[in-house]
Amino acid sequence: MKKYINLSLLALVAGSLTFSSCKSDDPDPEQEGSEKYVIMTLSDRTTGQKAGYTSAFDEFPTGTISNVGATSLEGEGMGGWRTHGNNIYKMFRTADYATGIEKLNISANGIVTAGAFIASKNQAEAAKYFGTGNFVIKDDNLGYYWDAAEPMKIQKFNPSTMQNTGSLDLTAAVNEHGESETGINFRAVGQKFLAIKGNKLYANITYAKNTSTQGQVGFFDDFFPNVYIAVIDLNNESYENIIEIEDTGSIAYINENHMYDFDTNGDLYIVTQGRSAIGGKSKIVRIKANESDIDQAWELKFSDFRAADNGKFVGVFANNGKLIVTLNTETLTGGGTGNINRGNIWKFYSVDVANPEFKEITGIPAGTNPGAAMAATEVDGKIYLRCAQLNTNDGEDEYKNGYYEYNPSSNSASLAFEVNVGGAVSGFTKVNIGN
Amino acid sequence: MRYKICILSVLLLISRLVLAQTTDFATGYVYNEDGIPLGDVTVQLGNNGTTTLSNGHFSLESIPAGKHLLTVSVVGYSTFQDTVVKLVQENLALQIRLSKDDKVLQEVMVVGKSETQQVREQAIRAIVVDTRAVAEQPVTLSELMNRSPGIRIRQSGGLGNAVDVSINGFQGNSVQYFRDGIPLEYLGGGYGINNVPVNQLERVEVYKGVVPMSLGGDALGGAVNLVRPKHKGSSILTSYEIASFNTHIINLSAYQSPSSKKYFVGLDAFLNYSDNDYKADVEIVDANSNPQTVTLPLFHNGYKHYFAEAYGGIRDVSWADELQFGLAAYNIDRESQHPARMTTPYGALKVYNKGIIPSLRYQKAFGNINIDQFISYSHINRSRVDTIKGSFDWYGNFRERIGGTPGESPRPSHSDINFSNIINRTNLSYFINKKHRIEANLVYNYISRLGEDPLGFRFEGTDIDVLTKEATYSKTIGGLMWESKWLNNKLTNQLMGKFFGFNTKGINAFMANDVDLDKYKTYSNNNWGIGHALKYQLSDHDFIRASWELTNRLPRENELFGDNDTRAPNFELEPERSFNVNIGYRFQKHKLTAEVSGFYRKTDGMILLVPIQPPFAQYRNLDSIRGYGFDVDLSYLLTKNLQVTANATWQDNRMVDIPDGVNAWMNGTRVRNTPYFFANAGITGSFGELLTHGDRIKTYLHWNFIREFYLNHIPRENEPKGFLGLFGQASVPVTNIVPNQHLITAGFNYFLPKQPISFGIEVKNLANAKLYDYYKIQRPGRSFHFKINYQLTKNSI
Repeated sequence: MKKYINLSLLALVAGSLTFSSCKSDDPDPEQEGSEKYVIMTLSDRTTGQKAGYTSAFDEFPTGTISNVGATSLEGEGMGGWRTHGNNIYKMFRTADYATGIEKLNISANGIVTAGAFIASKNQAEAAKYFGTGNFVIKDDNLGYYWDAAEPMKIQKFNPSTMQNTGSLDLTAAVNEHGESETGINFRAVGQKFLAIKGNKLYANITYAKNTSTQGQVGFFDDFFPNVYIAVIDLNNESYENIIEIEDTGSIAYINENHMYDFDTNGDLYIVTQGRSAIGGKSKIVRIKANESDIDQAWELKFSDFRAADNGKFVGVFANNGKLIVTLNTETLTGGGTGNINRGNIWKFYSVDVANPEFKEITGIPAGTNPGAAMAATEVDGKIYLRCAQLNTNDGEDEYKNGYYEYNPSSNSASLAFEVNVGGAVSGFTKVNIGN
Repeated sequence: MRYKICILSVLLLISRLVLAQTTDFATGYVYNEDGIPLGDVTVQLGNNGTTTLSNGHFSLESIPAGKHLLTVSVVGYSTFQDTVVKLVQENLALQIRLSKDDKVLQEVMVVGKSETQQVREQAIRAIVVDTRAVAEQPVTLSELMNRSPGIRIRQSGGLGNAVDVSINGFQGNSVQYFRDGIPLEYLGGGYGINNVPVNQLERVEVYKGVVPMSLGGDALGGAVNLVRPKHKGSSILTSYEIASFNTHIINLSAYQSPSSKKYFVGLDAFLNYSDNDYKADVEIVDANSNPQTVTLPLFHNGYKHYFAEAYGGIRDVSWADELQFGLAAYNIDRESQHPARMTTPYGALKVYNKGIIPSLRYQKAFGNINIDQFISYSHINRSRVDTIKGSFDWYGNFRERIGGTPGESPRPSHSDINFSNIINRTNLSYFINKKHRIEANLVYNYISRLGEDPLGFRFEGTDIDVLTKEATYSKTIGGLMWESKWLNNKLTNQLMGKFFGFNTKGINAFMANDVDLDKYKTYSNNNWGIGHALKYQLSDHDFIRASWELTNRLPRENELFGDNDTRAPNFELEPERSFNVNIGYRFQKHKLTAEVSGFYRKTDGMILLVPIQPPFAQYRNLDSIRGYGFDVDLSYLLTKNLQVTANATWQDNRMVDIPDGVNAWMNGTRVRNTPYFFANAGITGSFGELLTHGDRIKTYLHWNFIREFYLNHIPRENEPKGFLGLFGQASVPVTNIVPNQHLITAGFNYFLPKQPISFGIEVKNLANAKLYDYYKIQRPGRSFHFKINYQLTKNSI
């Protein structure tokens, strides 16, 4: 018996070795150079965890390219990113979609890897209340973010070492409004909007009506008709005051698309989505360069675009006194058959800040909702617009997925490159890894 | 009155020689292990009994068509029981080989046509997991099934956690479950492959490809039928297993049929309990908010479950071959340690499930017509309780939440949901003559859901709990099958047609929709399917078979209704449709059994959960899959004491028909999160006279391998290049990968001489390897199991 068992064990061990993988296919990078063009694509259709790819290229992409290669990073949370200098960060960990802040590393030979990760202090709270990892970076050594584990605080972190370095308690600011209101079921500061302008930190205050019986808490459930923003003086990290955006709701949204932008002159443009997921009272407001309060003399409302007020802004890009926005060309509908995320209905428009008028940007077709992605981005001094189209059985025989170069003078765009493998484009930027 | 515990083996051969005048005979011989005829052996087939002559021969007359319990016993040998099928106008010829030793050897020696064997050899292929052969082992049904070709069982954690069976790449709701041919839904989760002890079953039939019409399911090419033993006389079987992680499994089966044989009573019951507190790699956050991996025992992963079913009835009366009443009850309390992934610890969330199920089954043969009628009513109550206001860390420390909403998960709940479930199954079989048979089958299933959840969703703009509005679902699956035999019975042909229909009624409770609370939405859908199976007997030792089917999988009620949580309703789901072809060759002679099978499938409109509008997801008809694959299954008797088994499965299921646009590149990519290669090898030994005269020990060692697979789509050109993709790694670094896995299990059973007691000791995951199933959820490491069995049989014959 012993003989047979020994033979069997040998056979099993041999079999085990036979079927074990041989690690012989290490990436063989051909690309080297300090400047990298980085593309992110989103390939997930079913899990909701935003699987996709990020790849780095030595040359500006042209023609039709694949975003999947030996140096790519495959993983989750590939819906968008935020950049600071030559660094790329995203709010979901590549390995498992955990919420926080993850830094992407790009090597000289173009290999993209997931770097250090700042996690929520309490993943259970982070799963319950969305928005953990909403961050803004002041400089290479200091940034601020929100963590659902401590909703009344703003966390500090070092974007170089990727470590938490403390927190600011803003309970006092939150309690300036509605402290005794029983209809408010959740309060937070910085959950959805964090911006730094003029050495001041601007952080939205969430006063949420929703309980668990009513859907997501903190989104499209504002208790007050006005949006409140706490202003913190970063010289001494002290709470200064609260400013208000009147008669709207849902400032910004979670995930990497922070939905605000600074114009060349320093003016800050802020998006509010309005009263519901499918819009109503959505608008863009402004804090002028040398001001610290909302400019009451200027606002851009969705109803200015279409009086029916049946849609919303989902992002803003500001450049030289012009805003570039994407707007829904049809009434927004939600649900499984809704067009909000699955319809090719989002068109680009430019708006002259001084003379607000929505001008359609020609040459680029209507695409899907950019979601967490930035719809417009600046690379090599040029503006590129994202277009990703799904087949919606609309009779079209061609579907675009790539970036278009915007020509401000003609208010038109032309195709710069397309991506055919890897999913819907969700990010395009350039980094210099030598810096 | 003699009590005997028997060890024997049996070779059963159904005669192909049709006697000219009469066809109600059963004849045969009984031998010992060495082929020496045994005289004075008692042979009982149904209600007919006799003893063998000195040359081992026996003959029985007036054996009616149908299933009969075969019992063979003689002093010095163990009594053997099995079910054989007597076909209309066909005599039975049996060759029975008894062993002095335990019946563990039985499986080694069974190469004939017991009922189990007949299932293996029918025109529609079934993988048969012989649970009775391993009943003494501390093994779970999931583990057993994982050792079979073409089948992967994935379990999310330890004992009692949900399992998903993948058959030829079909999984989820594409695979359906039955018990004794009845859709298993009626037992409400109290009885299933994740929790029923192997002692409770005779065997498990796994259908890969065409699903027999008699099962009356709408599976797409995968069905699992749990088959309980058929008792006769009186018996009691009990076992107790104690194992790592404070695991206790108690099993009891008792059966009593007095000598009158006109009535019977029985009880099947089991209790599962486990803390499931195995160690797992989890993350804690350090002072810098950076995650650190630590290995900690799970602290809220327990499982407690009992199931009991009492039954009784009458048999062999003029108006019924058997009429059985059953009353089953179960209760499941399960702690939930984490959500779908092990990212977040829960410390209080619990899920409850209980039910009470009366049932009635009537069977009768009227001449050439057999009737099998089953009906049950199930009252199921389910509850999910997540009310605590705060959260836990992986050490089990609680932190209270100031402000905010209750619940440690994103969806707090205190639900109390009642389900009423009626299942009616009618099966009619008509033997036209000895070569032709017609079978009709009808399954009707009605489900209603009504409940409440003070913390659950409300209709938009109201305080009305969506659960308080009743939702109903009914489906009808009918089928007609013609079975015929040709070419001197060498060719078996089955042609079947099926009807699928469902009707649903409820309120679309998705929050973003306008809701008219007085307007119930109804939806119905009808479809047809057709299937065909052929088997050709090449010789006494081998045959080929092929089958194809165009069939439907109806949307389930939870896919249509949603779950009153983040899964939104979709009342317009269409059935999934699938075309599958299967072909196989089986050889069996002397010491070798070999089977090679291949399949092709094309499935359209698969129902998948798709994220729509955060936090909601909704089932939609989305993907199409085309695939093919093969498996090889070998068994060889090295010596009379040692048997080796091995099998390997390779399957190539890929996405197709994804329309142009950003996702077109996924055409041709593998189906995500689905293993494409897995293999098993095992060696089993059986030895006697080890410690004392008459004792016996059975040892075994099993190895299971799963090739790495990916949780997300990767382009085909980036897949591993080796032969069939079995070697090397993908040419794109893949983060979301389930790595190669090896599971080694070893154990032995010891049978006391002349005592109805046996012991089993097993070490699972001997190498303490990291094992994963769903989305890298870690499974237990090395664990130790001890099981004691007591089996007493009294044959009232």
